[in-house]
Amino acid sequence: MLRRWGAVACVALVSVLVAPIFLDAYSVTILIRSLLYGSIAISLDILWGYAGILSFGQAAFFGIGAYAFGLAVTHYDFSTLTVVGAFLVGPFAAASVAGLVAWLGFGPRVSPLYISVLTLVQSVIFVQLIYSGGDFTGSSSGLSGFDTFDLDISTWFRIAGVALVLMTAAGFVFVRSDYGRLLVAIRENEQRCRYSGIGSARVKTALLMGSAVVAALAGIAYAAFNDVIAPDLGNFQFGTELVIWVALGGRGTLLGPALAAVLIDYVSAILSGALPFVWQLAVGLVFIVVIVLLPGGLGPAMFGLIRRRRTDVASVPKYALDRVPDRTVFTDGAAAIVVDGVARHYGSLRVLEGIDFTAQPGELVSIIGPNGAGKTTLIRCISDGLERSAGTVTIAGRSIGRLAPEGCVRLGLGRKFQAPNVFDALTVGESLRIARYRFERLSPLRRADRIRLPAAALRVVEATGLDDQLSTLVKHLSHGGKQALELAMVLALEPSVLLLDEPTAGLSKGERNLIGTILVDLVRDHGLCVLLIEHDLEFVREISSRIIVLHQGRILMDGSVDDVTQSELVRTVYTGEAATVLDAA
Amino acid sequence: MINLGLDIVTTAAILFVVAAGLLITYGVLKIINFAHGAFLTIGGYSALVATQWGISPWLAIPLALVIGVVLGAMVERLIVRPLYGRPLDAILATWGLGIVLVQLITLGFGRGTNFVQSPVQGALVLLDTQYSLYRLLMLGIAIGLGLVMAAVFQLTPLGLAARAVIMNETLAQSLGINSERVRFLTFSIGAGLAAVAGALITPLLSVDPLMGVPWLLNAFMLVMVSGTSLASLAAASLVLGGAQVAISTYSNPVLGSLSIVVLAAVVLRVRPSGFARA
Repeated sequence: MLRRWGAVACVALVSVLVAPIFLDAYSVTILIRSLLYGSIAISLDILWGYAGILSFGQAAFFGIGAYAFGLAVTHYDFSTLTVVGAFLVGPFAAASVAGLVAWLGFGPRVSPLYISVLTLVQSVIFVQLIYSGGDFTGSSSGLSGFDTFDLDISTWFRIAGVALVLMTAAGFVFVRSDYGRLLVAIRENEQRCRYSGIGSARVKTALLMGSAVVAALAGIAYAAFNDVIAPDLGNFQFGTELVIWVALGGRGTLLGPALAAVLIDYVSAILSGALPFVWQLAVGLVFIVVIVLLPGGLGPAMFGLIRRRRTDVASVPKYALDRVPDRTVFTDGAAAIVVDGVARHYGSLRVLEGIDFTAQPGELVSIIGPNGAGKTTLIRCISDGLERSAGTVTIAGRSIGRLAPEGCVRLGLGRKFQAPNVFDALTVGESLRIARYRFERLSPLRRADRIRLPAAALRVVEATGLDDQLSTLVKHLSHGGKQALELAMVLALEPSVLLLDEPTAGLSKGERNLIGTILVDLVRDHGLCVLLIEHDLEFVREISSRIIVLHQGRILMDGSVDDVTQSELVRTVYTGEAATVLDAA
Repeated sequence: MINLGLDIVTTAAILFVVAAGLLITYGVLKIINFAHGAFLTIGGYSALVATQWGISPWLAIPLALVIGVVLGAMVERLIVRPLYGRPLDAILATWGLGIVLVQLITLGFGRGTNFVQSPVQGALVLLDTQYSLYRLLMLGIAIGLGLVMAAVFQLTPLGLAARAVIMNETLAQSLGINSERVRFLTFSIGAGLAAVAGALITPLLSVDPLMGVPWLLNAFMLVMVSGTSLASLAAASLVLGGAQVAISTYSNPVLGSLSIVVLAAVVLRVRPSGFARA
């Protein structure tokens, strides 16, 4: 596999090195630009095709690089110092802008569409700033005729070509690594990532900044080669063209976007002289048709790359499972979790009010109550610092404050959702590997060949047969399989407090008993504290050490299993309306 | 001072009219219609055609509405509906559509800038100052539009269905609301509103193929900070539009033109619910 791709890369390298000999000067000149655009397309494909961040603003980063070089050599001199300065300042400025946009765009609770709007805005602002820069930036006419490197066009071609081949190769290595799979995980299910302790906003920010650096370097090369720069380089139209190339070439394929960028830009340059608007119209129409009918892109449709990609998934390296030594969870005698005065209001609606309880290590506390009692809201308030309206939550002695879910997870929390919350596009093995992010860094270069899991997670995996399905795509698992996988992923976090929202919903009796046994063992052997939301009272009675009854947003009762199950009050609440109606009748 | 105050409220009125169509589309369909700017441009060119044909500029507004609604209906059927499960792709496709529409306009009308006739001329004398009658008229239109939209939302069956779809589409469907039809009507009306806004703003500005873009960005950000509430949109238009006018007047027009998007981005970062009541 590796050898085959290595050979392809070598052939590509040789081709770009000898191509200028056979091409006419006009084609070479145009292709230099196209090849530079190819590198930007690769970085955009990683950003959008893999991580799902749609950016219309890569052109602005390209423009920033181009202007960093142009302004430096125009206003200072063409010296080694200036050039090195431009090579440092350009990418740094682009990365800073990307960091700022990411800070604004990846904030808590913003729509994933928002970053696309912001990157569009960023291009418009770039052009406005260049326009209003007067003589310094050359305003609308740009800068030209500055001193630059004295290289002939075949050399420029070779530089741009080698850069593109290396960029593509690096891209392939990256997206196939463990870290590359994390990008797909974030695209597929960012919530699960955050509840696996992964600061996804930080990962996305780094990615946007990295793509900005690539675009800025391409911009520097473009300015140095072309000797003319204009505000158009950074406008949203160019930013959109980049997106179109990636979409047409096939997002998530790397090769497709690179080839599409080079080809379409080259053809555009030749055709747009003759039919400027008609050509753009045609590209726009094809783009719409591809998005609606061929979302995978033209490239894969034409070359059958999709089929090859499928075989790639099947040939994913086999993982081996290892056991990591158990950790002692609690050492200092602190309570596992203290919930004090927690309330949640939506406007005037009070969903939770005055919730107080404490749970110790080694307790399995079930939270029961009729529908709408606020059980899931309570879990949400415990696992996300921004959720509650009042009160404090302390995990193993440390307050969650306003921490985001990933912060709560780092304090020792694990949360399993009611409906299976997993990564459909990844394999079972990849999902488990990503769930271990907190303990073992994901390599941006390699794919791990073994997954180290704590005993509890390993037990779930082995007991449910997931260990034989490590190479299976998660979306092909049964409902029970997905529930078990999510539980294993949460246990892989080695939590000290485990929040489970109806873990047995939709499971068979056998699967339910298995999960019950595992939970009881975890609590007994590892001192874990489990908070369980359940409707199945029989199950609750079998495994709980204590039961909390929620009713209309308040704690109705907090006591032993016997106290609660024999309580008249609880019986009335559960059979509630029915009993009253019967009494009335 | 009176002038500044009037500039602020009339600018807010214009922003409200431009963003209203985008807001209802975002609320009901949960996608941002990136072709909104192109629909706006089409409205502007409808007004231009009305001027060229010599018909009353008043008729430009219903003409734009009809063209916008028909075009919106076609776009919903052909492009937006198939992408319902892929919101990011819907954005892309509407953006591609915007490019296509702009290219078509360029092919038909050229790249040049055109001017259209205003339905009302002259100025109104207010205390010791004069103010453009048309801008004051825009204020009235915006208030009227806001009231009509609020009435449609609160009082008509379509409005009720739309509110249900905004709040919980699955539940609305299970209650027998044909959410597909609600989406279709909403998108068409949203496109119609965009075209009307284009026809309304052109007497104040010039018409060119790219006229929609700056409006599109401002409208995006206003909708982002307003959520799905018309009242929040009015508040956001007033506050951010006011900031734009103040910055343009006292500082620098370039900064002023960027102030809405920049301030809205900052507001969203500090308070993710924006101008909407959390």
